[in-house]
Amino acid sequence: MVSNQTELIMLGVMKILKEKGSFLLNNKKIIPFLILIVLTGLPIIQFFGNYNYLIHIVLFSFLYITMSSSWNIIGGYGGFISLGHNVFFGIGAYFSGFIFVRYGISPFITALIAGLVAALFGFVVGFITLRVKGPSYIISSIALLMIFRILFDRWELIGGTHGMTLPHNTFPVEWSKIPHYYALLLLMVLSIYLSWYIRHSKFGLALRSISHDEIKSAVTGINVKIIKVTAYALSAYFIGAAGAIWGDYLTYVRPNIFFIILIAANMVLMCILGGKGTVTGPIIGTIVMIFFNEFILAYFGATELNIFFTGFLMIITLMYFPEGIVGSLKKRKLLPGFLDWG
Amino acid sequence: MIEFLQVLILGICLGFVYALMVSGLTLIFGVMRIVNLAHPILIICGAFVSYWLFILIGLDPILSIPIAGLVVAALGVVIYKLIFERNAAQQTYSEMTVLLTFGTAMVIDGILSFVFHNTQRTTSPSYATDAIFIGDIFIPLAQLYSGLVSSVIIVGLAVFLKYSDFGIAIRATSQNRTSAELVGVNVKFVCLISFGIGCALAGAAGALVSFIFSFFPSRHWEWIAIMMSLVVLGGMGSLKGAVIGAIVLSVVSSMVGAFISPAWSTMVFFLSLFLILIIRPKGLFGIQSD
Repeated sequence: MVSNQTELIMLGVMKILKEKGSFLLNNKKIIPFLILIVLTGLPIIQFFGNYNYLIHIVLFSFLYITMSSSWNIIGGYGGFISLGHNVFFGIGAYFSGFIFVRYGISPFITALIAGLVAALFGFVVGFITLRVKGPSYIISSIALLMIFRILFDRWELIGGTHGMTLPHNTFPVEWSKIPHYYALLLLMVLSIYLSWYIRHSKFGLALRSISHDEIKSAVTGINVKIIKVTAYALSAYFIGAAGAIWGDYLTYVRPNIFFIILIAANMVLMCILGGKGTVTGPIIGTIVMIFFNEFILAYFGATELNIFFTGFLMIITLMYFPEGIVGSLKKRKLLPGFLDWG
Repeated sequence: MIEFLQVLILGICLGFVYALMVSGLTLIFGVMRIVNLAHPILIICGAFVSYWLFILIGLDPILSIPIAGLVVAALGVVIYKLIFERNAAQQTYSEMTVLLTFGTAMVIDGILSFVFHNTQRTTSPSYATDAIFIGDIFIPLAQLYSGLVSSVIIVGLAVFLKYSDFGIAIRATSQNRTSAELVGVNVKFVCLISFGIGCALAGAAGALVSFIFSFFPSRHWEWIAIMMSLVVLGGMGSLKGAVIGAIVLSVVSSMVGAFISPAWSTMVFFLSLFLILIIRPKGLFGIQSD
């Protein structure tokens, strides 16, 4: 008799949960808000022991979500696939690192200025490079990266190939990652907001129309050049700022850490895996990629197999679901509402 | 003056090797409009074949060219069947194909790095360190032989494309796919075989590379941009353009390396790639894209 009653209550609870659950899943605000609260409070676990690995993985995800969301602005909405976007990552890191080493001003203060420098730089580069499209653009972006690699390798003022070593903070070991954690969390939220804002603005509409056909867009009265270049600069901003924080986190900046094509490849892959041109795509893609990478590391050790699996995933994604996870789910109408931000 | 001539001759020898390295790339682009970023890693595959033949049975790298070519061609045909066949069918000139070749390059790089590790390797046949003197000009035999062999292979390829029936079919396909199909060319087969030939050229170049450069799997990232600069200067899809681009840039970069600083010699490639793409994307002799 008693067990029967509990069973009934359980069934009732399940039913309510199911109804409320679908409401929860389809509401655009509640779950992201809850996730944000959890992420803000996450460092509390450091009171109960040393969870530095967990903190590292989460802040690493923040970094790459910031970067792939920013890449998505020009690569996803604008249709300019850049394989050299980590130029801005390096510029941000070097700018803040240089100021830290020379004048002792922490990258946490200069990060937003570093982003501005990267964006300004993106504006100039965009004016030059965005006139070509398609494969030519991809190759020119690789050339840009190579040029920067050589320039920074030879530039003695900022340490040449050895780069610069930054002073590290003096917090106890459990708390030393926390400032970077919150800085990257903030950058991530801002970059996702920017991506969302652009997706729903007139500017984003113009950008997406440019990605389909530049000439027709120009005919409808869109100032193609300005829109393209502004989008490029905006996408450089948060990558530069994140680079500044990441340089401080690593405590050194060096050309062979920041100017390698694999960082750009990761950005591109994360964005395409999640679904380029969607707001939540880069987020999902990044989370999947980072878990996948950690899984490979745990099972096969730190080897070059990581490059193999990254490439393999890229091929599979491009061949079988080029719209990415979010795009494919959306097409089949299986995407839960809280992931559907346009 | 002597020094100038010396650098010029070395630059031209190296230029022919570069031309062989990119001839396959430009052939594949001409026929299928695939910008094959996996080409440099295929060259490294060829270099590995040559390297192991040299280490295990002492076969001279120049003699192992046919074997390296065949092995890499077989690998290329497998890759083509698995990945590019359906892209080649529509001859689209799209970003996604470029990313697909980029992914392929990562896959091969990952496997090679995992199996052989990223240590610098080079084959050392007897002539690798020898040189001859013509007057006061000093010519290393390795560069001279590799330049000669490359030029022979390139001339052979040009003759094949110009006079053989199959070569004419390849050129017809690269000029206009639909018309070629109309006059009875089996375009699918032509694509497959040209991809194979392109990869065989990569393998042959790899055999030569194995004794004039030291190679390791991850080196291909740098070569991607270098080789792109050579084909983009001459114009994608044109063999003549690729040869001229390779020789010009190789000579200029040798000059920069000799008279300014070796550190800046690779900058020539990247800067010219960047500028040409911005100013004149179809290069000097390029075919129209799209």
